[in-house]
Amino acid sequence: MKPRLSLSSPLRFTRSYATRLPERPPSRNPDPLLNNPYAVYKDLPENVTFIHRPPPTAPSPLSYTTLPASPLLQSSATPVDRPLPPSLWKDKGEKPRVSDEDIARIRQLRREDPQTWTRGRLAAEFNCTQWFVGKITSLKSADRKKVVAEVEKAHAANRDKWGERRKLNADIRKKRKEFW
Amino acid sequence: MGYAQRKVATTAAKLAHVSSQHLKALPTKHLSAGRSAGAPPAVFDAQSWAASQPPPRSTLAAFVHRIGLGNVVSSPDVIQQAVTHPSFVQLHTQQHPDQPLPATNASLATLGNSLLGLFATEYVNSSYPHLPTRVLKAAVSAHVGPTTCANLAREMGVTPILRWHRSSSASTQNSVLHADALASVPRALTALVYQYRSLRSARRFAEKFFFSRDVDMRSMIKFRDPKQTLLATVEKYGRERPVSRLLKETGRYSQSPVFVVGIYSGADQLGEGFGSSLKMAEYRAAEDSLLRLYLTRQPPHLLQLPSSTFPDAVGNVFDAVGTEGAYSPTSLGDSEVLYGSAGRAGIRVPGARSRVVEAEDSDLDIYV
Repeated sequence: MKPRLSLSSPLRFTRSYATRLPERPPSRNPDPLLNNPYAVYKDLPENVTFIHRPPPTAPSPLSYTTLPASPLLQSSATPVDRPLPPSLWKDKGEKPRVSDEDIARIRQLRREDPQTWTRGRLAAEFNCTQWFVGKITSLKSADRKKVVAEVEKAHAANRDKWGERRKLNADIRKKRKEFW
Repeated sequence: MGYAQRKVATTAAKLAHVSSQHLKALPTKHLSAGRSAGAPPAVFDAQSWAASQPPPRSTLAAFVHRIGLGNVVSSPDVIQQAVTHPSFVQLHTQQHPDQPLPATNASLATLGNSLLGLFATEYVNSSYPHLPTRVLKAAVSAHVGPTTCANLAREMGVTPILRWHRSSSASTQNSVLHADALASVPRALTALVYQYRSLRSARRFAEKFFFSRDVDMRSMIKFRDPKQTLLATVEKYGRERPVSRLLKETGRYSQSPVFVVGIYSGADQLGEGFGSSLKMAEYRAAEDSLLRLYLTRQPPHLLQLPSSTFPDAVGNVFDAVGTEGAYSPTSLGDSEVLYGSAGRAGIRVPGARSRVVEAEDSDLDIYV
């Protein structure tokens, strides 16, 4: 047991255990200018070093046919030998190819009754994507315009229910997208 | 000269940017004499009269030497024709009905416009072999279009010597804009260089004045859906499907996140982009991938232009005699993908670099 100080001592309020720091210490971050993998050092006369440090994520504005910046213009793809950064979206896996009979059936159903057999319903039924259904089928221009108008009417009715704040946020996001 | 005549002369001189020493003829005669008794009294319009006066020959000579055509053109009258817009004829006949019609730059401007279009198209196409067609057209307009020609004319100093007239009649439908009148002058000058020298000289003139200007190609390219375009482009080149990968991120769930996303085809990074959301970063990465492809440029010292085959000798393209210039054509870039055309689903257009050629699709009839 630690020896306790007597109350009469002038150091009666000294604590004998380590206290937490009263102030946040200054953050000591490593200097990003040093140890930069993209930095190129060149020695010039008169004891001068020229350091070129391009920002690591800036796209190269110069691409010449002799040295193209796009790998598509290089003769062959580089082989995958090291692990790559994580993918943004989860890999859902490829769906199996839809057989020719199923494609014919999809087209027939869509032609017969587009109200019942929508793209979404056909996609679920035949285990493919709505995009694929749209690629292999299409409505006549007049019918398509009708359907689009109905959907737009439903969406507009929903939008009317929005409050001021929601409308404003939606407009802000739409405007931001213009500057992507 | 009386006081009134001197006053008219100085006022008109101020309007016409000419020195009053050069004004020999004054307008009073055709307004006072020969008018019928019942006609209303003629009002002298100093501005119209001043505009119809020819510029002094010294100004024309100074102008032609300033632009470097002093030894090319035979006389300042030719330059006067080049700076006279067709709208000027009406003004001239109003003010000087007894004089012959002035020569205008209408045919010269048309010829020059065609020549500039030719030079600009081959220059942009040879410099950027992978550029989409719409962007190529926009680039040609940026290099030799009406706005550029008008700005160039102002820089050359055509404004005080340009002869034009704003509106042809009472209606404003046939009015001429100042910029359009100015734009006709560099075109006419290009045609003059072709006439007095050769096609190659005209091309040198265009290179000096038009292609030395900086044109920002990146801002001309806008995408409706860069991810879809990139998907089709990569398929055309026969590479693996593009996958978006997260390279760096900071501040997720905070008020100001930054994400850096790269688009990979296999192990090759096609493009990179940053954004405050994952979708924004991916969009920019797709744009960067396509811009790296489209803006791939032929180095200027390796540029090959088809018009180099014309001999560099004096004379037009039919009469010039000399050795043909060297020209080795570069391989054509793959044309850009066209999407959004509903009727052409299922028709595949192969790219020159595509590897995947399925056996059953080797029938060329289905390719467009």
